[in-house]
Amino acid sequence: MFLNHITRELSAYHHGELSPQDSRAVAEHLIGCQRCRAEFEQIKLGARFAESLPQLQAPESLWKDLEGLIEAQTGNNGSSRTSSSRVSWSFFQPRFAAIAAALILAFGLGGFFLYMRASRPSWEVARLDGAPRIGSTRINDKSRLGIGQWLETDGVSRAQISVGSIGQVEIDPNTKVRLLQTLPTEHRLELARGRMSARIWAPPRLFFVDTPSAVAADLGCAYTLEVDDNGGSLLRVTSGWVALELKDRESIVPAGAACATRPGIGPGTPYFEDASEIFRKALSKLDFEPRDTEWSKIPSLNLVLMESRGRDTLTLWHLLSRVQGDDRVLVYERLAALAPPPNGVTREGIVQLDSQMLTLWKDNLEHTWSNESLPGVRKVWKKVWTTGLGKMRELEGKK
Amino acid sequence: MTEPIIDERVIRACQAGDREAFRMLFEAYKDRVFSIAVYSFGGDQTAASDVTQQIFLKLLTTIGQFRGESQFTTWLYRLVANACIDEQRRSKRYLPFGESDPMTKIQDRVPQERRYARMELADSVKDAICELKPKFRLPILLKYMEDLSYEEIACVLGCSKGTVASRLNRGHKELARRLAHLRDQVVLGD
Repeated sequence: MFLNHITRELSAYHHGELSPQDSRAVAEHLIGCQRCRAEFEQIKLGARFAESLPQLQAPESLWKDLEGLIEAQTGNNGSSRTSSSRVSWSFFQPRFAAIAAALILAFGLGGFFLYMRASRPSWEVARLDGAPRIGSTRINDKSRLGIGQWLETDGVSRAQISVGSIGQVEIDPNTKVRLLQTLPTEHRLELARGRMSARIWAPPRLFFVDTPSAVAADLGCAYTLEVDDNGGSLLRVTSGWVALELKDRESIVPAGAACATRPGIGPGTPYFEDASEIFRKALSKLDFEPRDTEWSKIPSLNLVLMESRGRDTLTLWHLLSRVQGDDRVLVYERLAALAPPPNGVTREGIVQLDSQMLTLWKDNLEHTWSNESLPGVRKVWKKVWTTGLGKMRELEGKK
Repeated sequence: MTEPIIDERVIRACQAGDREAFRMLFEAYKDRVFSIAVYSFGGDQTAASDVTQQIFLKLLTTIGQFRGESQFTTWLYRLVANACIDEQRRSKRYLPFGESDPMTKIQDRVPQERRYARMELADSVKDAICELKPKFRLPILLKYMEDLSYEEIACVLGCSKGTVASRLNRGHKELARRLAHLRDQVVLGD
């Protein structure tokens, strides 16, 4: 594993240009280094923009102009031209040109479609129930989902997607998903509506699901994600960890916890599903309807703080950076009462949102949020990575 | 028109002076060469057309020197890169970065498409690419327009793979920074 930051390697890593050993080392470093992860997100974003760069069409007149230049040059050097040149030039008459163009077109089209069909990356899809469709084609047993294609289920159909060699996704009824990307360094699905369950056994941040209001980044886990008709979503994690992100807002959700998202806001604050109903409702108001004072005379934040238990430090830690001024002091005091801050973390630092102190406190709390703490996950992934996935990436990279 | 398939026979025929074969070569690569030229000349299609013609003329006269020691595309793109760099040094037609609207001509050509968000994103990306420094722009164009490997890009530009990686890194970050306001359009699946 690289001990120093690996920012210079990130584009090569993204394009699968590193050796398998270096690729593994970069992946391992990324798991543990927030700074390099942030840099990697920038690189991937820049790459996505570059991928959208269109190829332009040369003007139709270009060949004619070029022909003129060639003629001029040929005229100048006419005596030195070979007979084969003259023969082939005479061949270039309208009638023969049309035949040649038709042949080229036929062979070109055939070759092009065969090539595209063989080389286009895709995921295997198996029908579980009913009649799921890819585009307008019904899946009878198995099919393949290519980049840009939609997989849609009706009220009674279900399907299962094999995500390369890294996991499986089950698609529930009334769901619409699209494959956006499948690369050695990134697999990305879009969930437009409905519900899907994912089980992923890849290194963190290799599998992403875009929803209308946030992106779910897999940190090594199993989870369900559902999107309603308004574009809001609900993530429920059953194993491992998932990060929900939109712009600078990130929620880290461990097993047993859930997190809602809303269009225009992004991810709300994560909470454990066994928290009290008042706690969950107050948190939802705080996240998405902070100005609604009708439902309770007590401010939502106060209800959340009053109802919080030892485990709910997950919620309180996230709230620190989402509330302002005196409210942040209130959250700090409740969090400190439930789990005293470790050495090096001060009230002043937290109120100022010192990122090092926030991270230190989070690291100290993580073991109370999940049996599968992030360091543990990292170890598992390291083992998985070094055995099987290194080979997979090598193979996918070659493709 | 679908791209003709260029293989050794076509290249050998070009070397033997067969202009029909040369036409096939031209059809296969004209859009890619022209695209690189347009983006290299800040969107100036007139300059790009001139340079594209010069490149193919040079290709016609020097293809006999191609010995098949590297990929033909690598050899071709070396011509393209050198021509773009030389022309930029020589010509005043090249628009300095950040001055005026370099993509006006392209935008004028496709006014109806600008209604769509995807095209607006594409326009912004074009602008941002045109504003990159040449040393960051060429590796980006060769990677994303031609899908060349780092080794091939290094061969085209006459530098090391490490330099290619470093310039692509800078180019990616610069694009991400300039187009940060459009992040949602690409991240959320536009």
